[in-house]
Amino acid sequence: MVRDVACATREVEHRLTTYLIRRAVVIVVMAFIIAFASFILLSIAPGGPLQEIAARQSTTQRNDLDLIERTMKRYDLDIFLIPRFLRWLTGHPRGPIAIGGQQFFADLQVGCLKEGRARLVYPDGRVVEVDCAKPVFLRDLADRPVSNGVLRLDFGKSTQILREQPVIRLFESRIVNTLLLMGISTFLSIMIAIPIGIISAVKQYSRFDYTVTTLAFIGSGMPTLFMGIMGILIFAVLFKEAGLPYLPAGTAESPRDTVIPLFGTIKAGSFLDRLWHLVLPVMILTIFNLAQWSRFIRSSMLEVLRQDYVRTARAKGLIERVVIVKHAMRNALIPFVTLLAGVLPALFGGAIITESVFNYPGMGRLFIAALTAGDYNVAIGFILISTFLVLIGYLISDVLYTIVDPRIRLS
Amino acid sequence: MATASARVETAAAAPVTLAKPEGQWTIVLRRFRRHRLAIVSLAFIFVVFIASLLTPLVAPFPRDAVNPVMRFSLPFSADTRDNKKLHLLGTDHIGRDTFTRLLYAARITLSVAFIVATLSTLIGMAVGALAGYYRGAIDGLLMRLLEFMSAIPTFPILLILASVLNQDPKLLPFPDFLVNLVSGIMLIDPQKESRSVLVVIFVITLFGWTGAARLMRGMVLSVRERDFIESARSLGASNLWIIARHVVPNAFPPLIVAYTLALADGLTAEVALSFLGLGITDPTPTWGNMLNFATQFMLTHPWAPLIPGIPVVLCSLAFNFIGDGLRDALDPRLKM
Repeated sequence: MVRDVACATREVEHRLTTYLIRRAVVIVVMAFIIAFASFILLSIAPGGPLQEIAARQSTTQRNDLDLIERTMKRYDLDIFLIPRFLRWLTGHPRGPIAIGGQQFFADLQVGCLKEGRARLVYPDGRVVEVDCAKPVFLRDLADRPVSNGVLRLDFGKSTQILREQPVIRLFESRIVNTLLLMGISTFLSIMIAIPIGIISAVKQYSRFDYTVTTLAFIGSGMPTLFMGIMGILIFAVLFKEAGLPYLPAGTAESPRDTVIPLFGTIKAGSFLDRLWHLVLPVMILTIFNLAQWSRFIRSSMLEVLRQDYVRTARAKGLIERVVIVKHAMRNALIPFVTLLAGVLPALFGGAIITESVFNYPGMGRLFIAALTAGDYNVAIGFILISTFLVLIGYLISDVLYTIVDPRIRLS
Repeated sequence: MATASARVETAAAAPVTLAKPEGQWTIVLRRFRRHRLAIVSLAFIFVVFIASLLTPLVAPFPRDAVNPVMRFSLPFSADTRDNKKLHLLGTDHIGRDTFTRLLYAARITLSVAFIVATLSTLIGMAVGALAGYYRGAIDGLLMRLLEFMSAIPTFPILLILASVLNQDPKLLPFPDFLVNLVSGIMLIDPQKESRSVLVVIFVITLFGWTGAARLMRGMVLSVRERDFIESARSLGASNLWIIARHVVPNAFPPLIVAYTLALADGLTAEVALSFLGLGITDPTPTWGNMLNFATQFMLTHPWAPLIPGIPVVLCSLAFNFIGDGLRDALDPRLKM
């Protein structure tokens, strides 16, 4: 008997491992596809260095071929797509492959600086006809600067927002704000949504349930955009005019100390100041999440309450509290665990629209600013990290699912 | 409003004859009419639709007429120097009549929502039906694709695509007939304004069809094993005939609900894109970019965002209510 259980556990563990390995492979493949698609997008995105030169030329009427060639070399534009992608992704190849003092593939053509036919005469007398006037060989790459590669979080430099600053520095300056905003609102939403959803399901068709479902329906049908605007209108504009303690309309810190009626002075940049700025966006995001999640939990709980084991629990004389909390609620929350997989990328990416409405200096706002300014290195960096987090989120939710619900078999 | 309910009543009354049992759609209509919010919503959408249809006749001012004297004027104010025409809903930051622009914007925003919802539902239906009916490799490919689409951050990617396509017209040239069609429907300039509208439609549809495809595939999978499909096939019906005559009608109820919700999603997507400045841009008016400008001057003119904001919310809620009403009406398991 004991051996059987041990055997079964080992089998489950084994299955979990194979499953995880398979998922990991899928994740790597998908991440690779996304990375390649992003790279293609990046290379066709308008506002590249060559277009900048073209724009300058049309104004100054200068046709500087040297400048064009230098720029092409500087941005790897003379290299074929695949090696260029590899250099962008991993930072390699950085020149001929050196093994034990010997150099290999030094004559491998990896790009073309200028189109056109050419005859190449090698030192050993070979003559080769090529379809490229100025080919680029692997050995030419040795003395070029190269990024560390996207895999090592080197997304290149920002071209517009903060010129010549690495993209990752920009992210570092914004991520704390977004983590604060999303963390607090997610925590609050979970804490409020669970009891509301459960009570609403237990007391189905009661006045409470009716109010909750109606509000949730309206809340999830109403765009966050409008909720944010209404929030600013009421709590920032009308409250201020009425002489009530008001909330700031946007940003994360005040430029100077503020006096709030009936409350006191808030020092610019203090902890209280940041908290004060968080209230309104956190509120909007919480309402939005709450509307969706409480509906979800309610319907999941309703389904569980109809199960036989709940009837059994009641029939064996357990008090209602125990039935609800121990038997029904625990099972009702299982599907909710998977829903939370979406939280991970949101913690990083923030809420694009809400951050924009409140002009909150977080990741989402940065992304929009990057797109508006045409700073595609920043935008692609954002997409890549978000995608990776989405994939990780799915993996975590799958694993969690099997942990909280042993009935689920991984396939 | 009266027109809408009258239309519904006549349609409901017609098929009811004495001996015949009630048809499916009669029952659906009867049940739908009991959902009061859905009926009100339908009437509201109908009114907005008529207003946007009659825009060129109703609009009191030219769409882009700028009046520098009348910037941010309040509703019901008028320029005293000229013909004293009322600005019903005031003017915007460069003195254009808000009511006029709201009407034109309704036409553009609603058309985009309808086109996007229709296209993505049709594409989703076709793809889902093919995958569900033929199974095998097509189905496997579709499922991988759907998995892929669900595992990418759709909204940021949609935004970046819209941004790239809007900034470089050479990347995705649209055929002339589409450009002219869109400019005809939305009363916009084909050369200057059609492109951003088409880009918005393109990107939202590109990411919008997956829901309908999933739904359709599921319906087809459940229908195709039934006996009446077998008998149709034994009578020599072709695959296309079976899909069109037997599978699609059976999948229709959930699809029509999904379609109304897709309308709401299409509307909010366009509004969000244009609000963020990455969709349809000024001077082409949409509710989204009107909101964008209004919120920029919100601290000094707090009422301004409400004017484009309220129609957005009402339409979005209305589509949701209609969907809800249809769901209740179409689901025979629910007794009403």
